[in-house]
Amino acid sequence: MKLNRRSFIKSAAVSSAVATAGSIFPGISFADWKRVKGAYGITWKKAPCRFCGTGCGVLVGVTNNRAVAVKGDPNCSVNKGLCCVKGYHSVQALYGRDRLKKAQIRKNGKMVEVPIAEALDVIAAKLKETVKKHGKDSVAMYGSGQWTIPDGYVASKLFKGCLGTNNVEANARLCMASAVTGFMTSFGIDEPMGCYEDIEHADVFITWGNNMAEMHPVLFSRMLASRKRKKDVTIIDLATRTTRTSQAADRSILFKPNTDLAVANAICYEIIRNGWMDKDFVKKHTTFHKGKTNIGYGTEDHFKFKDKPENMSFAEYKNFLEDYTPEKAERISGVSARDIKYMASLYGDPTKKVTSFWCMGMNQHVRGTWINNLVYNIHLLTGKISTPGNSPFSLTGQPSACGTVREVGTLTHKLPYGVVMKEKARKKAEKIWDLPAGSIDPKPTYHTVEMFRALDRGDIRFMWIQVTNPMITMPNLNRYRNGALKDDRFIVVSDVYPTPTTDVADVILPASMWIEQEGMYGNSERRTQHFDEIVPGPGDTMSDTWQIIEVARRLGFKKQFPWSQKNYIGKIWEEYRRFHDNPKHNMAPYEVLKARSGVQWPFVNGKETRWRFNSKYDPACKKGSDFDFYGKKDGKAWIWARPYEPAAESPDQEYNFWLNTGRVIEHWHSGSMTRRIPILHNAVPESYVELNPEDAANLGVVNGELVKIISRRGSITMKASINGRGVPPKGMVFVPFFDEDYKINEVTLDAFCPISKQPDYKKCAVRLEKA
Amino acid sequence: MPILSFLALPQDGGMEQLCNDLSAMEYCEIIPAENQEVIVLVTDTPDVEAEKNLQKSLKNLPSLQSLSMTFGHNAEQ
Amino acid sequence: MKKAENTRGLVHGLAAICLVGLMALPVMAAPGIPQGFDANGEKIFKRYDKTPLAATTGTDGKRNLNSYYELRQYPGSPPMIPHDVDPSFSSKGLKCLSCHEKGGYDSSKNAYAPVTPHPENELCFQCHVPKHAKKLFRENNWLSIAPPKLGISELAGSPPPIPHSLQLREDCIACHTGPAAVAEIRVEHASRGNCRQCHVPFISTAPAKEFKRKN
Repeated sequence: MKLNRRSFIKSAAVSSAVATAGSIFPGISFADWKRVKGAYGITWKKAPCRFCGTGCGVLVGVTNNRAVAVKGDPNCSVNKGLCCVKGYHSVQALYGRDRLKKAQIRKNGKMVEVPIAEALDVIAAKLKETVKKHGKDSVAMYGSGQWTIPDGYVASKLFKGCLGTNNVEANARLCMASAVTGFMTSFGIDEPMGCYEDIEHADVFITWGNNMAEMHPVLFSRMLASRKRKKDVTIIDLATRTTRTSQAADRSILFKPNTDLAVANAICYEIIRNGWMDKDFVKKHTTFHKGKTNIGYGTEDHFKFKDKPENMSFAEYKNFLEDYTPEKAERISGVSARDIKYMASLYGDPTKKVTSFWCMGMNQHVRGTWINNLVYNIHLLTGKISTPGNSPFSLTGQPSACGTVREVGTLTHKLPYGVVMKEKARKKAEKIWDLPAGSIDPKPTYHTVEMFRALDRGDIRFMWIQVTNPMITMPNLNRYRNGALKDDRFIVVSDVYPTPTTDVADVILPASMWIEQEGMYGNSERRTQHFDEIVPGPGDTMSDTWQIIEVARRLGFKKQFPWSQKNYIGKIWEEYRRFHDNPKHNMAPYEVLKARSGVQWPFVNGKETRWRFNSKYDPACKKGSDFDFYGKKDGKAWIWARPYEPAAESPDQEYNFWLNTGRVIEHWHSGSMTRRIPILHNAVPESYVELNPEDAANLGVVNGELVKIISRRGSITMKASINGRGVPPKGMVFVPFFDEDYKINEVTLDAFCPISKQPDYKKCAVRLEKA
Repeated sequence: MPILSFLALPQDGGMEQLCNDLSAMEYCEIIPAENQEVIVLVTDTPDVEAEKNLQKSLKNLPSLQSLSMTFGHNAEQ
Repeated sequence: MKKAENTRGLVHGLAAICLVGLMALPVMAAPGIPQGFDANGEKIFKRYDKTPLAATTGTDGKRNLNSYYELRQYPGSPPMIPHDVDPSFSSKGLKCLSCHEKGGYDSSKNAYAPVTPHPENELCFQCHVPKHAKKLFRENNWLSIAPPKLGISELAGSPPPIPHSLQLREDCIACHTGPAAVAEIRVEHASRGNCRQCHVPFISTAPAKEFKRKN
């Protein structure tokens, strides 16, 4: 008490002195941060946030060529002026003291700083040499959804067009591939039909394995605000673990890992049984299909899978659902039949508008494509789709997963328009890229996991990695790191900070970060967002786009890369736009992008399209139709019969726990940026393992004690978190993956969805030891 | 055993020196202003002897131009 | 200032701040007073009695511009949370808002809770995070600009303009009045509700614009 009193008096002493100082020296301040010398006044410039796929608009405050503050952009309809803690402090990520400012080359085993031109020479020479020695498919480009649209576009042009190899992949394979194949199989065209405005229209939200409160907080607060305003809004959190989202939801429903497949089918069963199906809609706008079953998990090298869709009748579909009565589904999923019926009644209630949200829970799933299909089924059966508030909504995790990877098509099978397998698409690309016919290889090569396996095997000898950190994020990491470190593998890494990936590099290129270059991102709701070069980059940093252009020119492709450094982004955009020259995908012109805080495509006749496939809003729909799912030839969306199948590796006697991995609100992706932002690092300085309190008690660990997590692939020892911000159910542990000091992916399994080839980071078997 | 707070002004250009000097002294806590040559000094001594010694050494500090008290409290209990 | 300790994973029954007084006191008449007689009135006295004298007059001396900016990275950034919080941060129960919506005295902190100017945003942890580490992961060369100056009235004694953006800070009363207000920016005429009658926005951190006639 005495001590408290004393410290109280002391702080009164301080404030009295400070107040006195204030009266003598008006404006005197004792703030914590250092000042830009001689700075007066801030100018504000718009940009999309650097981090997640929400695509918040930020205003960056600039003084004397330094970014010094951030505000939410009130003109951006995504966030309407409110950011999250990452966004507000995003600009601090530009100024970490260990920013990469010079190029480095490995000489006699040591990294040595060199002029960037020399590094670019070495890259071009090595590329040429490797192609000559090992063939064109021995070189690869690995980027990410953090690439700007021009970054991905020139990468595709150089590798797919000029070099003729389809070895272009991106981190988005680990993050969005199941969403893409979900859209393609159900609708024949990628990306959500709805938009964020659905949030204000919807009466019911169901989040499928999606901790939105932490991962998409800005959209989640829009949901909360809508609930507060409208009162009768219901939020259901359907998940495998209790999180902040569960706490904010009106109902938290837990299911056993991978059994969301059974739950979704059971909801469909109930909808049909109760006559809640929109018969007209289903008859006019859908067809029924089934595909192969028992489709495997891709854990072995050279795994191949091709689905074989077959038509089926509604009666056959109904018959298929007999295996998923709520009672049967309860036995599989652990979700009570009552809860299943409750959710079905929400989806089925004709007076309620329902929006489903999901992200990694459904995408990082060994049956990711299937579960995407099944949630679309629910919305199609009830006709709750493509109208305001009725929206199956697949969220993205990276700022330009949609813009760059999905729209530009930086995946092995894709082109900016169409797929490499289609002659029409190849011809279009060859024409726009001014290449001789036949330049583009019609055969897709490696998807991401197989690409790193090929690197390990030696089928790939040269890999250029830009804006991503696979040496944290690849599942079964030990194998792929050892592969990258093998002799005669040449790894180029373009990044902004040293990471475990630059640790395996032979050449490091210092990259411009975010607003140190001009570029565009594309967010989850088909919104393209332009940003100017707002501050200069340090040292020799160069945009990823320009790095590729420099190397392309050294390889002799001057004709394909003719632009000047002054206006190359605008020129590239206008060239890229030619690929999407149709009302289903039209992009806004450069000048429009520059002027606005994001523009949604299809951009037709000067207007953005809010809801696709609905003729009221979407000019690409057939005249006179109400709905037109024009991605499919007959304009009908596909309802799929997809069964429940278990995870690749489930807990057994020996490895008796599920391991689930993910993120926290403070850190983004592998943490290389957010950990350099003081306030974010201070909030969550290191990773941890969440345990169920009962499991912790059985194991004899208390909060903060060390636990060893062991799988068949690797092990890791970290601090236990019990009743922390998330609580896994009994038999599951959860680990955030951002921390390079605790590489949880050394423990995870590289099993993937056979259709999308996206790995499942949420399910593998581990055992625990008190360390 | 008093708790006192002062505004300390350094000799011209001696802000850093004064910060160093004051923070090196026992029973002293400082908060330097960022945009003015002023330091908030809080002293918290355990007994009369220490208080006397501290006042003496403060008076003899060459980097200090002036010291003005803004708050005083004598906590006897 | 005492910094928050590392408490990740610990259970704090209630959020660390807990209002004493109105909520916590039992509705029981004191001996000798008839049951049912102005039971609420008693609370007023008890609450008054529990509140330290220093805190009922002026500010409680806990918050000044220095401690205010210590929690921020630049003028206008969301402040971090300087006290322990339940790691689960339940946003449905609005635990943060139970103290920070209306303010009030918190005996465990011996201080008044500052009032948020934007209580309509319920997802507090979206922008506000606690501090659990003492050491940075990597050093940062962050610089920002000086906070707005105080007392920038155009004329001696004229009302000073509003030196900051109003975005998320539209509620003047929340920060500029009450016992938790930062000492230097507390106004003594809080009874005048129409703040912008006299105070107009002049964002001192933005470049000054001069009026020029367009012919």
